[in-house]
Amino acid sequence: MKRIVVLTLLLFIVSISASQVNAELNLDGFLQGLYGGRIDENNPTASEFTASETRMQLRAQHWGDDGQFFGRLDFTYDGAGSTSQYEWELREGYFKFRPGSKFDIKVGRQILTWGTGDLIFINDVFAKDYQSFFIGRDDQYLKAPQNALRVEYYSPVGALAMVWSPDFEPNRLPTGEKLSFYNPMVGDIIGGEDLPPVPEPEKKFENSEIAARLTGSVSGFRTALYFYKGFYKNPVGFDPEMGEMGSPVYPKLNVYGGSLRGQIVGGILWMEGGYFDSRQDTDGDNPYIPNSIVKGLIGFEKQVADNLTANLQWQADYMLDHGIYQTQMEGAEFIRDEVYHLLTTRWTKLLNSELVNLSLFGFYSPTDEDFYGRFSVSYSYTDEVNITLGGNIFDGKYKSTDFGQFQLNDNVYLKLTYGF
Amino acid sequence: MKLSKIVLLSLTLFALLSINVFAQETAEEIMKKSHMAYYYAGNDGVANVSMRIIDKKGKERIREFVMLRLDVEDGGDQKYYTYFKKPSDVSRLTFMVHKSAKGNDKRWIYVPAIDLVKQISADDKNSSFVGSDFSYEDVSGRHWSEDTHRLLYDSTWNDKAVWVIESTPKEKYKGFTRKVSYIDKETYLPYKELYFGKKDKLVKVMTSEEIKEVDGIITITHRTMKDVKKNRVTHVIFEDIDYNTGIKDEIFTERYLMNPPMEFIK
Repeated sequence: MKRIVVLTLLLFIVSISASQVNAELNLDGFLQGLYGGRIDENNPTASEFTASETRMQLRAQHWGDDGQFFGRLDFTYDGAGSTSQYEWELREGYFKFRPGSKFDIKVGRQILTWGTGDLIFINDVFAKDYQSFFIGRDDQYLKAPQNALRVEYYSPVGALAMVWSPDFEPNRLPTGEKLSFYNPMVGDIIGGEDLPPVPEPEKKFENSEIAARLTGSVSGFRTALYFYKGFYKNPVGFDPEMGEMGSPVYPKLNVYGGSLRGQIVGGILWMEGGYFDSRQDTDGDNPYIPNSIVKGLIGFEKQVADNLTANLQWQADYMLDHGIYQTQMEGAEFIRDEVYHLLTTRWTKLLNSELVNLSLFGFYSPTDEDFYGRFSVSYSYTDEVNITLGGNIFDGKYKSTDFGQFQLNDNVYLKLTYGF
Repeated sequence: MKLSKIVLLSLTLFALLSINVFAQETAEEIMKKSHMAYYYAGNDGVANVSMRIIDKKGKERIREFVMLRLDVEDGGDQKYYTYFKKPSDVSRLTFMVHKSAKGNDKRWIYVPAIDLVKQISADDKNSSFVGSDFSYEDVSGRHWSEDTHRLLYDSTWNDKAVWVIESTPKEKYKGFTRKVSYIDKETYLPYKELYFGKKDKLVKVMTSEEIKEVDGIITITHRTMKDVKKNRVTHVIFEDIDYNTGIKDEIFTERYLMNPPMEFIK
């Protein structure tokens, strides 16, 4: 981490000093206070607050003749935990340049996103921050930064993007401090405890992550093929031989997929599919590693009235070797169906000349019987000042499902932002 | 002698007649030329645009962006690229429109903070552009063939001769029930546009506040749109305008949406 920061700063200085006349430096950012509290009782978390933080984000952009530097640095004071702490994080710090007309290169700490789903990710196996997502931080914090080299090659028929991340970057998940979650080792929803960190894959060349995307247009539709080689971003595996009692681990994962997006009947249609190849459990017989899964989703978005946009998504996951899984899980509180279904919907209403934004997003799985709803009301008081009130509601029949495990974490929050 | 007089007379008459015929452009032809002068100046255009939205209490909001335009076909398809500079919460956001004269437009947005390219529904051309009093269609132009035009009368506007033309949508349209435009007889640019809504109530007024010659092209550099009901006004000021810069078609693709063309934006 320190090395990266030094390197980025060096790059920054070099790029500033290398460019002379046509260079420009832009500085901006925001100050933000986010305060949230749980509305559920009997939560085992350490804190009553889901958020109590003050944040300053600084952004610096420097354009030279040959490239661009961009830095996004966050300083936070987090008072929600058992011990208050100051933190800082370089969220982005990259150098972008164009060697020849056919290539774009972006190197450094960066946010990466691709795929077509709305808050559903199949081929986007880049790091996410669900802790931030569940407590009301801005949308940009759903994505966790990765150190990466991104090379994009363009030709008249299509574009090829290659992303190489030397170090594995896991998802950021609730830790039990602000949000409780289900721990399969305990067999219950836990929180407030110091859990030993999940060991990450050894830092070596063969453990680096590779993601690739090939895009093109087919009769007005944007189509893409994807590939990923790396690890599950959540610690979904278990190594019984690690440590004294065994330990959760990030198992190896490959993803192969494709997507399509375009305009149809006055709206936007998207489809995406992917094959999650669980490389350490190809036959589904390892009880400690998830089975391979084929995932698919379809979505449609349309403006349904003045300043009102709505969308619907349906995701279906087909688990391979489900029979073996069923046998392995015998006696468990919850056993997933062979086909998992998830329905989502988003509603966005803009009022008062777009100064007020009402937003609703709902996830519902009829097979896992769980639910997650997000809502927010945001008012842009001036160009600089924004006030947002929002909440996150979780429910589930079982304690161990994706959303059901967060059922004690219902929260509301207030967020004040001053942009500069 | 007599014969030549007759010839001369008839020639003069003919000439006068033809001038008269030439001068009597139809309202449709005027509006077509106006549309071309207003929305299709040069083959392409680049400008720094600032929008000041002032509400009835005098509270002001500012949007600053760079706008690139390329005409794919004169009077037909166009491509627009917008790079936002201000306010801070939308800075570096890019927005692209492929405007189709016949079919549906296509719109994309790129949010750099989450590295997200999103195609957005472009069904409603009458929706507000970035919360201002201008609609998408006010920015990129409603095709003249979608309305029936009628010359109401000739008049003057600030000592300039103008045609006053009424346009009525051929198909029911949310934007207006009729529009009255004051078109300059010399430049074909509109000095004023009055938009009427339900019950023939005046809803919006566009005024050209400043007209300048840029690269030999007469251009409206400052215009306002007043929302009569909300008592709100939006000023749009175009600066650093460049025409015929030779913008390449490839700028209007996902590649440049994610990697803004520095040469135009600095």
